[in-house]
Amino acid sequence: MSEYTESIIPGVSRRKSASRYRPAVFLLVPLLAILFQVYVPRFIESAANLELPLLVTVYFSLMRRQPIAGTLIGAVIGLAQDSLSHLPLGMFGIVKTLVGYFAASVSQRFDVENPAIRLILGFFFFFFHQFFYWILSRALLSQQVGFDLVQTLIVGVLNAAVGLPLFVLLDKLRQDDVALA
Amino acid sequence: MNLFPQRRPSTFSDRPLLTDDTKVIAAKLTFFQYAALAVFVFLITGFWELQVVKESIYSEAAERNRIKSRPILAPRGKILDRDGRVIVDNHSSFSLLLSRENLKDEHLKNIAEGLNLDLTELTQRLARYKKRPRYEPIIIKDELTAGDISFVEAHRNQDTFPEMELIHTQRRLYPRDGLAAHVIGYVGEISEPELDLPEFIKYKQGDVIGKDGIEKQYNEMLMGTDGQRRVLVDNMGNERQVLENKEARPGQPLQLTLDLDLQAVAELSMEGRRGAVVALDPRSGEVLAMVSRPAFDPNAFAGRIPTKLWNTIIQDPDKPLLNRAVQAQLAPGSTFKPIMALAGLETGAITEGFSASCSGVANWYGRPFKCHQKGGHGHVELHKALAQSCDVYFYALGNKMGIDTIAQYAEMVGLGQKTGVDIPHEASGLVPSTKWKMRAYRQKWFAGETISVSIGQGALIVTPIQLASAIGGMATGGVWQKPHLVRRRGTEAPARRAELNLDNVNQVVYGMFGVVNEGGTGVRARLAGVEVCGKTGTAQLASNDFLKTAAGKSMKDTAWFVGFANKSPEIVVVAMFEAGEHGNLAAPIVRDVIKSYFDKKARMTPPEPAKALAQAMFPRELRR
Amino acid sequence: MDFLLHRYRSLTVLVVTILAQLVLLAYQVKTDGDVRLIRVWSVEAVTPLARVLEGIRSSTSDFFSNYVVLSGAQAENRRMREELGRLKMDNQFLRSELSTAQRAEALVVFQKRSPSKTVAARVIGSSTGANAKVVFVDRGFTSGVLKGMAVLTPDGIVGKVIASYPTAAQVQLITDPSFAAGVISQSSRVQGTLKGQGRGDLLVDYVQLEQKVEKGEWFFTSGDDRVFPKGLPVGQVSVDKQGTTFREIYLLPSGFQHGLEEVLIVVEGVHQQIPDDVSAFNQPIKLLPPPPPPEGSPESGSLAAPDGGPQPLTTDADRLRQKYRALGEAQSHKYGEGMTAPNYNQATPPVVPGTPAGSVATPPGAAPGTTAARPIAPAAGVATKGPATTPGATPLSGTVANPAPPATKAPAMKAPVTPTTAPTTTPTSTPAVKSTTTPAVKPPVP
Repeated sequence: MSEYTESIIPGVSRRKSASRYRPAVFLLVPLLAILFQVYVPRFIESAANLELPLLVTVYFSLMRRQPIAGTLIGAVIGLAQDSLSHLPLGMFGIVKTLVGYFAASVSQRFDVENPAIRLILGFFFFFFHQFFYWILSRALLSQQVGFDLVQTLIVGVLNAAVGLPLFVLLDKLRQDDVALA
Repeated sequence: MNLFPQRRPSTFSDRPLLTDDTKVIAAKLTFFQYAALAVFVFLITGFWELQVVKESIYSEAAERNRIKSRPILAPRGKILDRDGRVIVDNHSSFSLLLSRENLKDEHLKNIAEGLNLDLTELTQRLARYKKRPRYEPIIIKDELTAGDISFVEAHRNQDTFPEMELIHTQRRLYPRDGLAAHVIGYVGEISEPELDLPEFIKYKQGDVIGKDGIEKQYNEMLMGTDGQRRVLVDNMGNERQVLENKEARPGQPLQLTLDLDLQAVAELSMEGRRGAVVALDPRSGEVLAMVSRPAFDPNAFAGRIPTKLWNTIIQDPDKPLLNRAVQAQLAPGSTFKPIMALAGLETGAITEGFSASCSGVANWYGRPFKCHQKGGHGHVELHKALAQSCDVYFYALGNKMGIDTIAQYAEMVGLGQKTGVDIPHEASGLVPSTKWKMRAYRQKWFAGETISVSIGQGALIVTPIQLASAIGGMATGGVWQKPHLVRRRGTEAPARRAELNLDNVNQVVYGMFGVVNEGGTGVRARLAGVEVCGKTGTAQLASNDFLKTAAGKSMKDTAWFVGFANKSPEIVVVAMFEAGEHGNLAAPIVRDVIKSYFDKKARMTPPEPAKALAQAMFPRELRR
Repeated sequence: MDFLLHRYRSLTVLVVTILAQLVLLAYQVKTDGDVRLIRVWSVEAVTPLARVLEGIRSSTSDFFSNYVVLSGAQAENRRMREELGRLKMDNQFLRSELSTAQRAEALVVFQKRSPSKTVAARVIGSSTGANAKVVFVDRGFTSGVLKGMAVLTPDGIVGKVIASYPTAAQVQLITDPSFAAGVISQSSRVQGTLKGQGRGDLLVDYVQLEQKVEKGEWFFTSGDDRVFPKGLPVGQVSVDKQGTTFREIYLLPSGFQHGLEEVLIVVEGVHQQIPDDVSAFNQPIKLLPPPPPPEGSPESGSLAAPDGGPQPLTTDADRLRQKYRALGEAQSHKYGEGMTAPNYNQATPPVVPGTPAGSVATPPGAAPGTTAARPIAPAAGVATKGPATTPGATPLSGTVANPAPPATKAPAMKAPVTPTTAPTTTPTSTPAVKSTTTPAVKPPVP
């Protein structure tokens, strides 16, 4: 059994390299992203639409390429975000956990360095994030909030556009890419 | 064993490297992966449903965040007067509901504090609801003020006291200053002892029911059926979806026989006085006005009565809750004399030459019995005896007839028994007789006692409504209709009848006419254009001996006046004025009420030219 | 199985992580509880950074607006601004009291009340929630800030504390859709409940249809909500129109006029604090005692106006009795007395239905501007008794049932114009201070 897996599977999933970052980066970047979300909208109201914590989650998950890492990054950032809202803990947490997991999963199939791919993924995950959050608030909290599709799409494009330079910026913090396996 | 060590693989670089085989396997694996995820999602949904939503232990807890059950309180029926004018209305107000599902005990103190409620009362209240299902919220305060609403709104979000909820209700709006308060009664929340009684079996904790008066007597009609709304709410407490909406069925309106025009005049006449006024239409038994003073404000009772207020009311020596019109039992004094006269005529005790010589006092059985006129009335026969209210004449008459004959006629006109008016707690009064004395005291009747009873004193006690009914029925020739406050629909209650000699009745009525119109004691009741007949009464509250004591000095005589108009009466009015000292002071009350009756009648009938025309067109014979 | 776990290790981690969060969520939903620990961590991790950021930002903006960058002057500056804020509040308080004073004895009222004790705080961030209007401030329970405390600027109220962390607190702004507070209008004394709309303006709800306010009229806190001390400015009426069940009165909040950078948290309102005996797990909720009843209102909690309506509610029975009373008076007849009966069919002077002749029922709002027309001097005001105070006629009579807190309950009187805590400085000495001293909108001074 193990021979089979050894011989076939690596060809599919273990041929990408993962980026490495200093532990401090994992701590500070999400914190700054959250801080941005908390602080900046006070002065620029439209900045509230920027989901920097999400973009950071997507970025780290994509670059780490490990679903486990993605899951955990998503969970931590999501919970931190929850803590600063006045909603029950776990809403952002669950959504971001899923985003982290899926981002890390798809990273193995795409060239995550490609700006176009990044743009599309950024947009996709933003949409996924908003949609799933909406589903969760309906299903778990019985909040009968509406879902503005057009606005979500527009804001998604915006976020993806912001994500692009942000990802490049974050690339600079990369220590060294290490081949996995 | 890094197969693809290049640092930056291009998007499509891996494609050619894959064989068809690996492609298929990879696809299968991916499919498997996602299928597993789908199963997982399915499972967590199931977990949520089971553990949080459906699971019996938690279902209530989960539901309270989503489904709220809110009662829709049915408004009670309005109470109208005979012309359809509103006596008791409803007005909208807000009440506070406390949901007990998510109630935190430590919040109670703050909630009580914020709404100025007594914490112990609130806790007791909650304890009473222990048996009720927890999803049923309870009302803890009615008639919320603007300030209360602000407090509730500011604190009912999830961060503070989400237990609180506002509910829009229709509260009872009663006339102010206790107008007709005793007739109407009041509503209140069903009490613990009441809940245990079989007659209240259909009510539940928290229901507001009639507690007294018409509100109690006709509670079934007036009370509607509450509805219920089950709604889905979001975490802001906003309704999102209505799951169930059972509309409330409002109570039916109730039309009384009261005439507000007469009632208002009677109320104004009794202002600042202690006593009662009852106006009846003796032809039908309809109660046209019923006043008892001092009164209470039923509005204060409309919701939950604060204990303090309740205590003040029940400890008031003037007993404002007592409906004096049907509950005050007092000696009728001289207003009993027409009944004595009738008895005398009917039994033949008053013969052609029966008369008395009044010197102001008469001795009976070794005791002096005074007449109210110190100098005496001189020679007195029936007409003068009634008009001047000569006591000495009636002493002699009473002595001649004996107590049991007096009792027989007193009972015949309806004294000593409930009139059966449709209002709770009617008192029966008392007509003394030899039998009664034996039963109650195991003593023989003393003939001396008959002398007191002859002028409406002694053990004889009546209620104002009894007197009104008795005199009214007698004046109509011996037909006593059952007094009632609510217009009858369909079957009339059979009237009590007695075979009376109409000549005798006319003699008594003529005597009562003399009271008012021939310089008798009730001259103040005289009205131009209306034949008012009446009788004054001044009744002592205790025996002459007791009245001489210190305690007795403060006991001022009760003033009575019973009057009717015309000689064949359309209206009979009794005024009882406690501590009024003399019956002639009660006469103006009756006069004003009777005047308002006839003035209203004049307003309602077409003016003279029209009348003349009608007469011309339809001769009297035809109109019959 | 071993294979599966190994193969789907990542999936397993995902499942576990999500399950754990679901349990967390379920716990909160079920118990209405909160997981304070995680929140405290996050808040304590983020707020220091936000504070630094805010510090940098404000000092840079100060740098541009300021002249001398001396740390001493900065501190002085801030202190003076706080002081000025307090003075302004006192001023507002005085102004709102003045109109009260004109109706009742100004001095007595003055002695009973004193301005609230406040803590100055900076706004350092907004909440991450979707459409909530919630901000973070840099003072937490270590500074005595508790959940339920009122938050204001010298220009008016801005919100209330909904969560308190060691060094930070969450403030729900008055514009938040779930915000509510008790308010009362200045001249017509219309009482209502303020509600946030999620927009810029505020709604005053539960105002009876018969009641009216003037456009531009000021609303103040009524103190009924037990959060805001009575008499703080809220905003001015921008729209007043007939609604379906209640009037629709919209206010423009005054508290945000000069931005929302520094706020005052009312640590000790004019009333005493409720001893906190709430379990340690739940945050204590600060609740102020009831506001004193309006001056000159009747003692008994009668139903003069159960809904705070302008006129007592009546039924036909009341009106009829009123008619007969007037009739009796017109013919100088005292019912139940005298020798003759009145003529009930004689024409009577017209009686306004529902207006008992016994009480002067002046509907509040019927005489707008009466307050403004009165003399300014409180001494004169003492002598003048306005129609709005007529017992039973003021909408405030609804609160009459509330027992007044004994005068002794209020903290010791502080001269409102000279706060004891602040150093005595001339507030106008620096231009920086000047910017905050000139509010664009002032409540009308009668």
